[in-house]
Amino acid sequence: MNYVLAGPSLLDKIAFVVLAGSVLGFALLTITRKSAVTALMALIGAFCAMAGLYATLSAHFLAVLQVLVYAGAIMVLFIFAVMILNRDEEHPIALRGLFVRAAGVLATGYLFYRLAWIVVHEQRTEVLATSITLPIPEYGNVASIGRLLFSDFLFPFEAISLLLLVAVVAGVLLARPPRPARPPRSSEAGGGT
Amino acid sequence: MPGHLYILVSLALFFIGTTGVLLRRNALFVLMSVELQLGAGSLALLTFARGLGDQKGHVVAFFVMALAAAEAAVGLAIVVSVYRTRRQIDLDGINELRN
Repeated sequence: MNYVLAGPSLLDKIAFVVLAGSVLGFALLTITRKSAVTALMALIGAFCAMAGLYATLSAHFLAVLQVLVYAGAIMVLFIFAVMILNRDEEHPIALRGLFVRAAGVLATGYLFYRLAWIVVHEQRTEVLATSITLPIPEYGNVASIGRLLFSDFLFPFEAISLLLLVAVVAGVLLARPPRPARPPRSSEAGGGT
Repeated sequence: MPGHLYILVSLALFFIGTTGVLLRRNALFVLMSVELQLGAGSLALLTFARGLGDQKGHVVAFFVMALAAAEAAVGLAIVVSVYRTRRQIDLDGINELRN
């Protein structure tokens, strides 16, 4: 290796192990719990721990946004949906077609095993060696991300705001309760459809 | 911390999300698993952005976040509307497009 990698301190290691362990543990809780509320709380924990991981990657703006958007706004949507639906399922794992699904999970597991193998064997490449020193002093803070967002990525930014508007309108339109039966006058006027 | 550990965490998280999508029947849990997958993608983006030393990955992760919000809004609205008409959100039981 032609560059010296400053090793992570003990505190860095502890923080990474705690955060990564809680991300994976909460994610496992999310997909295994029977009650939707418990799964949601585990999902909030997973997203908060993931925000901590973002912060250790010195992506501070994204870490704050992760807590605000994921653990805040999206989770409120999910909580409302759980309030409306509110039923626990008796058999959380699908039993019908279990063989095919298990084969799918095994195949994905093998794919991810191979990907992890590649990552472990290529860990000496420069891209994966996260050095301690920041590339620029203001790396990942609000000002530099915002400058990038409003210069190079202005068009995608506006497009994604339009996408959010469309999604909100679609959500209102889809979740609106169905209209009551039409008054008889309009059905007479419309004739038999 | 070395970057490959972050990528391994991201891979494991995406695998957990994929397992949830494949195995769960409740549409709510499937949507939650999709959120986990999107989070894993963001984590990998931020790791590579840190390794490459530029911030474009952060912007893309920001867009992923907005996309996840839009997906959650539309997906949950569809689930609620399906529940209104069919009285169930079991994905095995919903197998026709018109009611």
